[in-house]
This record gives sequence, C-alpha cells and structure tokens, in this order.
Amino acid sequence: MAKITIDNKQFECRDGISVLQAALDAGKNIPHYCYHPGLSVVASCRLCLMEMQMPHPKTQEMGWAPKLFPSCQTPVKEGMIVRFDSDAVRDNQKSCMEYFLIDHPLDCPVCDQAGECHLQDYSYEFGSSESRMVEQKHVTPKKDIGPKTLLYSDRCVMCTRCVRFTQEVSGTHELCVTNRGSRNEIDVFPGLPLDNPMQGNVVDLCPVGCLLDKDFLFKQRVWFLKSADSICPGCSTGCAIRVDQNEETVYRLKPRYNPDVNDWWMCDEGRFGSKYIHDPKRIASPHLRRGLERESANWEDLPEVVRYRFEQHVSLRGGDKVAVVLSPMMACEEAWLLIKFIRGVAPEATIATGFIPTDGEVQHFPAGCDAASAKFTIRPEKCPNRRGVEMIAEQAGGTTCDFDTFVTSAAGGAFSAAWIVGGYPSDWVSKEFGKAAAKFDLLVVQDMFENALTKLASVLLPACAWVERDGSFVNHAGKIQPFERAIRAPDGANRDGQYLFEIAGFEGVYSAERVRATMAMETAAFGEVLEAPLKPAHQH
Amino acid sequence: MIDDQDIIIVDEPELTATERLYLPQIIDGMRTTLRHMFKKTITLQYPEQKREQRIENYRGVHRLNRDEEGRVACVACFMCQTACPAHCIHIVGTESPWDDREKYPLQFDIDELRCIYCGMCEEACPVDAIELTPEYDLVGRTRDEMILDKEKLLEVFDRTVALKPRKNPKISGYAGTGDRDGCQSAGGGQ
Repeated sequence: MAKITIDNKQFECRDGISVLQAALDAGKNIPHYCYHPGLSVVASCRLCLMEMQMPHPKTQEMGWAPKLFPSCQTPVKEGMIVRFDSDAVRDNQKSCMEYFLIDHPLDCPVCDQAGECHLQDYSYEFGSSESRMVEQKHVTPKKDIGPKTLLYSDRCVMCTRCVRFTQEVSGTHELCVTNRGSRNEIDVFPGLPLDNPMQGNVVDLCPVGCLLDKDFLFKQRVWFLKSADSICPGCSTGCAIRVDQNEETVYRLKPRYNPDVNDWWMCDEGRFGSKYIHDPKRIASPHLRRGLERESANWEDLPEVVRYRFEQHVSLRGGDKVAVVLSPMMACEEAWLLIKFIRGVAPEATIATGFIPTDGEVQHFPAGCDAASAKFTIRPEKCPNRRGVEMIAEQAGGTTCDFDTFVTSAAGGAFSAAWIVGGYPSDWVSKEFGKAAAKFDLLVVQDMFENALTKLASVLLPACAWVERDGSFVNHAGKIQPFERAIRAPDGANRDGQYLFEIAGFEGVYSAERVRATMAMETAAFGEVLEAPLKPAHQH
Repeated sequence: MIDDQDIIIVDEPELTATERLYLPQIIDGMRTTLRHMFKKTITLQYPEQKREQRIENYRGVHRLNRDEEGRVACVACFMCQTACPAHCIHIVGTESPWDDREKYPLQFDIDELRCIYCGMCEEACPVDAIELTPEYDLVGRTRDEMILDKEKLLEVFDRTVALKPRKNPKISGYAGTGDRDGCQSAGGGQ
C-alpha cells in the first residue's frame, strides 16, 4: 500500500496502479478518454495531466515541476505529491476540450450517446461554453464498419480504445487508425468488417457517440432507461450485466464490471441473443387439462389443484413413480422451492437435472490463446445454472440422475408422473423425449414456448424469462451470483418464483433473498453470494 | 391535537335593526346591477362572436411544422417528450429515408387532453418543429380522437401556417451528421 498525496490530501492506494486510477478510486472526477483499466496505456488524450512535485535538479529542493505529467502513465510511488486542483491543470483540460470539439458536429439531439456521453459531461464540467472555431469544420464520414456496429467518425475523439480492444482483448485486429494528424480516422481494412464474437464491447468502450449499436440505434433516449443488475443467462460463464428497460421493454444489455467473472466485457451472443423475451408467441397463462380439453386456469386455485393432483397420484401409484426435471435455466431458489414441494408430496421422487443445451466449442479471447492466458471466455454450455441445479439436487439427496438417464428410464415406463421444467429460448424437446413423455399420466410442464411437451401437459405453467424473475445462478466456476428482476412478467403470467413459492406451501410475496436465507440454513454455500464490486464513480 | 390556547372563538356579530330589515342591502345590490346594465358589455356571444386572436404568443393546439420541401421538420430527438411535464408526447423515432437527416419520427402522438399547454415542448425543440398555434377550439367525440398523431399535427400546420408562419424555418446542424458532402454545423456555438 503506497501513500500518496493528491490535492493536499493523503490517500492509501494499491501498489502498481497509476495515479489516475488512484485518484478515481479516491472518488475524484478526473477527465480521461484514452485510459481504460482493461487496456494498455497510451496517454494520448492528454486530459488527465497533473502537476507533480520533483526535486530541483540543482538544489534538490522539492517543488512543482514546470511540466505537466500524464497521470494515467505515472505509477504511484510512496510519498508522491501530485495535484489536479491547479490553474495549469484546469487550463490544460479546457484547451484539450476545445480541441476535441473543433470538428464535432454538435448533433447531440440525434446522437444516441447523448445523456451518457463524456464529451457532453467533460465539456460541461471542464470545457468552455463557446467555441472560437471560425473555420469550416472538417467533416469525416459515417462508416458501416460491421454487421452490428456503425462508426460516426465525425464524433470521434481518437482515444483508440476500440482499436486497442480489438488488438488486446478480442485479438482480432479489425480496427486501425488511418491517416495522420488532424485527418486521423478509425477504420476497418477493406473487406474485413468488424465482426467478432466480442465486438459489441467497442460500443461500451467508446466514451463518445462514435461507435453505436445498430441494434439500439434510435430506439430510445438513454435517460428514459431504467437499469437492473442481472446475470447473463447465455452461457455458463455468467457475466455480470445490466438490463436497461423502459415501460417493460428491454432495450439493451450492458456488461457490469466483475473482476472475478467477466472483467468489463460480455459477448455479442449474450448481448443480442435475448430477443425472445418479447416474443408474442410466449406462453403467458397457466392451463389445466380436463379430459381432452385444455382450459386456462387461474392463479389463485392453481397451488391447490397441483397439490391435489400429485397427492392423489402418489396415493394411487406410489411416490417412486414421480420424477422432477430441474432445468438449468431455473434460478437456484426456484429449483429449491420445487424440490421442497415434490419431496413434500412424494419423498421417494427422482430428481433429474434437465437438458443442457450446448453449441460450438469453448472460445478463449484474445483469439487463439489458451485457457490460462484468456481474458474472456465464451463457453459452449448455453445455460446459466447447471451447477446450481446440480447443487440443489445433490443437497436434496434421494434418487438423482442426469437428463439422458431420465429419458431412457422414462421411455422404459419407470415414471407415471413428472414435473418438467423447460424455459429454453428454442425448441428443446427431442423426438425420443416426446415419445417417452406421452407415457406420463400426470405431467406438469413449465415452459416458455409451445412444443411437443406442452401439448401433452396436464398442467401447463408459463416459464418467465430471467429478466422477469429474481434469484441466483451458479456459474461454471461454482460462483453464486444473484440477479434482479428488470421487468414484470407478461400479462396473465406470474413469475416462476412466486407460483412455486405458493405451490411449495408458503404464503405471501416471494423474495429471492429471503428464500436464499432459508436455503443457507441447509446448505451453507447459499449464505454467501458473489456481488460484483462497484467500479469507481468517475471511471468509464 | 390543537391546544386550547391556540383556539380563538369568534362570535357572530349582532345585526342592527336596519341590517335585520335586509332592504338596504337589496337596494344596494340592485344599484350595482343597474349600473352595469348601462355600461359597455365585455362578454362575447361565443361561438357566434369570437375574440380577436393573439397570434404570436397564444398557446393552443400544437402543430408539427413542415420544412421547405413539405417533409416533417422534426428530427425525433425526444427533447419535447423529455421536457413535457404532463407526459403527453409519445414519439417513435427511426432512421430517416432522406439523405440530409439522420432520424425522423415514425410516430408522433400528442394527447391533447393530457396536455397542460405550458409550451415547454416548443421551448425545448432544437429545430423549431413543434409549435403551439392560436387554435383553441379543439373538439372530439372520443378520447382517442383527442390524441393527435403525426398526420393530424401536420394538418394543423397546413391550417395555421398562413396565420402564423414558421418562426425559424431553416433547419441545419442536425442534417449532415457523418455525411462527407453534407452541410456544416450551424453557427460556432458549442
């Protein structure tokens, strides 16, 4: 721990970091564009310059050096004395801002970045309200640099964060700087568009409105969006994300900083892959089958009906004929509540872990590196909570099995009643499983979209997307991460946690946190969850 | 609870003999009525008679202005929606079909029943596309009719443009974003 003095105040800071990072950690608002803790330091934007005390070359007396130093490039050292609170520093910031805005088109009203733009923020805080530029502005073109991203080079501040990202994190080297001096532009090579599985991060990295998502383009003004802290369900990595919504519509997902899981990044598959949450074809109300007819049920009677049907079945056929399939799309709390109910009516019931969707190979980034040196990993297991439901099943004890064993024994007629949880974004029911499921007399299905299984269901419950629920996922490394609800369940549906809470025999409103506290009494692991740390307020 | 010491009990004043007669009060009242009967009337027989319209600053029904080529002048920046204290403006923006502009409103609805006619939208608009007109006699049979969409708001412009021409007809600055040959930003201000 080094002790340094910033603006006459002593701060303790981590060793090996830059003065800029130490100042940001201390809560100071130091303007910076090119510095990003996840990328190499180039010290090119010159906004974070500071004054530093140095010994006079002749007298060895300590005094403020006449030259300004880039704080992002100066490592902290014990006893260092620096200041940002001086006229020289402020004059530099002001002049820098003036230069950044010389060719800026000032099209904030139609720019998607407006509201979260650091040109706006810094111009307001450190710049001047007028431009002295009387010459014609040099207008650089808008470029379509990839299938998902646009580059408005007239808004660019040449911080080169995006270029460094493609070189150092994604390792795909698509972006480059062309031309020199005031004619500098970010560009792609001819015929090689910006198209890698992590390219969406360049939009987050861009401190201004230069790089924009085509997916979010013109959809919303950012100040209308409300955020919820969530976890990406796209794969077993479990990246910390932020869900931005307005009026119950999710507009975008952004990564949150979590050094234990995803650092600052997320992949495009997670970022753009959840459009299914607003699919009108989703199952939105519970249904009960009476004879051949399927009719909609109401939520008040449902817990009683389900319990009655199971109890009756167990008393006729015995509890060992009952099975429950826990989907890896479920939250741990929901799986625990479901087990609680099943074990209550049939203590001998078999607990199976559900179908694990997989796709492709493990992808490490920078592209081509191995697992040990990877900065980011996309995993082929396309579900968020396999480890979680396995933990819950293991803790419940009794007969447990994996999905393939369950399908084989179900096809052999081992079970007559089953509660099967789906909740996958695509059709997941194989032909063999569909055939095996026809053998169940009592089948409760919890799913998002109609498939072969939902047609057979005696009780059909709508499964909600993860943004409509709250709970926790356990990622590939066994880290338990809680996520918040961002939007309400679609009209007619009820979030899974709530109805499972009622079916399990509890009363009142479901709260993932309270259920987790109860679970922690049985399994100590659930007492401690991994919350992503807050990043310094002025870092971006 | 209110303390007893804070309560002041006021007795009704006793009426005098003349006051109890009521006649002086009635005569006094009739005198005022008669005086007004012979004065110049200040009321109007609306709707047969109408007041002289204040064109410049009257805050009536909104209009969406058209530019020189007859297109909607709005650039869908959502500033009016943001400024609106009554939350009566709903815009859906999309990429514009024209080369000289980035964004335009696909949908632009104003709920005239919800609006409080404060004029904040007009103040907020960076391209002077939304304006309040001197029109005040807006009627409708249903609530839905009173939600004016883009077409209806443009019709209001066509109806009132002769009476109240556009304030600052030229739009620039939001036009040539990213366009190499496009026009330059307006003015020198930041």
